Amino acid sequence: MKNLRILTLILVLAFSASAIKAQGPIPNITDYRLDFTVVGIKGDSIKLSSLKGKVFILDFWASWCGPCRYSNKHLVKMYNKYKDKGFEILSVSLDDQKNDWKKAAAKDKITWMSGIDPGGWDAMAATKWQVDAIPASFLINKNGDVVAINLEKDDLEKKIKELLGL
Amino acid sequence: MKKSLLLLIAAFIYIGCFSQFSKASLQASGLTCSMCSKAVKVALEKVPFVQEVKVNIKNQEYTIIFKENNNADFDALKKAVEDAGFSVASFKVTGNFSDVSVQKDKHLELDGKNFHFVSNSDKVLNGEQTLTIVDKDFLSAKDFKKFSAATKMECIKTGKTGNCCVKDGMHSEERVYHVII
Repeated sequence: MKNLRILTLILVLAFSASAIKAQGPIPNITDYRLDFTVVGIKGDSIKLSSLKGKVFILDFWASWCGPCRYSNKHLVKMYNKYKDKGFEILSVSLDDQKNDWKKAAAKDKITWMSGIDPGGWDAMAATKWQVDAIPASFLINKNGDVVAINLEKDDLEKKIKELLGL
Repeated sequence: MKKSLLLLIAAFIYIGCFSQFSKASLQASGLTCSMCSKAVKVALEKVPFVQEVKVNIKNQEYTIIFKENNNADFDALKKAVEDAGFSVASFKVTGNFSDVSVQKDKHLELDGKNFHFVSNSDKVLNGEQTLTIVDKDFLSAKDFKKFSAATKMECIKTGKTGNCCVKDGMHSEERVYHVII
């Protein structure tokens, strides 16, 4: 019994050590534990790690989330201002209904990459990124590293400019 | 003969019975968008007698399925929501009734819990029925005010059985849920 307990402890330690080693101190989008594929507006598939090389925001939202819809207004401004300079956004919706998502995306003038990850809080992408409240946004640099979480307004713009080298 | 007599007695005991509550529907409110946070769902899932929590976005509602043979403690669900940083805006419980008669301002024990039917006319409940709890902090302050004015009995203010309830065969100082149907 005692041996079993020690064995379990060793296994747990070994496993957690390897997990930390593989991920390193900064989360990166190419890590298989963070990478995901979602269905885009036109039925295409969007793979997160394919955005490596761009400065982008990974934004989790839903049509029924008031604060998310409000924050989309600012994202539209950011996108229009910096899209030609290598800036991108990937919005991942937690909506269960595709129609709700498409309507909201059109209404909020989302012209950037937009995908749906149905299943609410238990959805795959949201679970991988440990999203427990929305809106949740991750700012990612050209190397695919997560450099900031939930930045708003001026702080967000400042950091985007910095990462784009403007 | 003895056997059939026992069966007959058993059948009589069975009349006017209530099995147990199977689920609850709850709305949470707060300063921020309550559905935009996983906190309420996680908190409700942690309550021991809860089997499953479904989020119903359209109605802004959580459906809480209870485990079988549970002894669902509605106060524990309310506390879970409050500990998550939100408050309860609506709380409904569903159970199966057979020939349970309820009267306005009468107290009744169901599933080991005390209930006070606040504002309905006399009726006999059968099949799946949903009760709305109108105790303080189980609905908005405004709605509570409305329902607490509907009875003159003091137990609605405290949520505890008082002198008013004892005549219906209840012990005093026990939890009593005030409900409408």
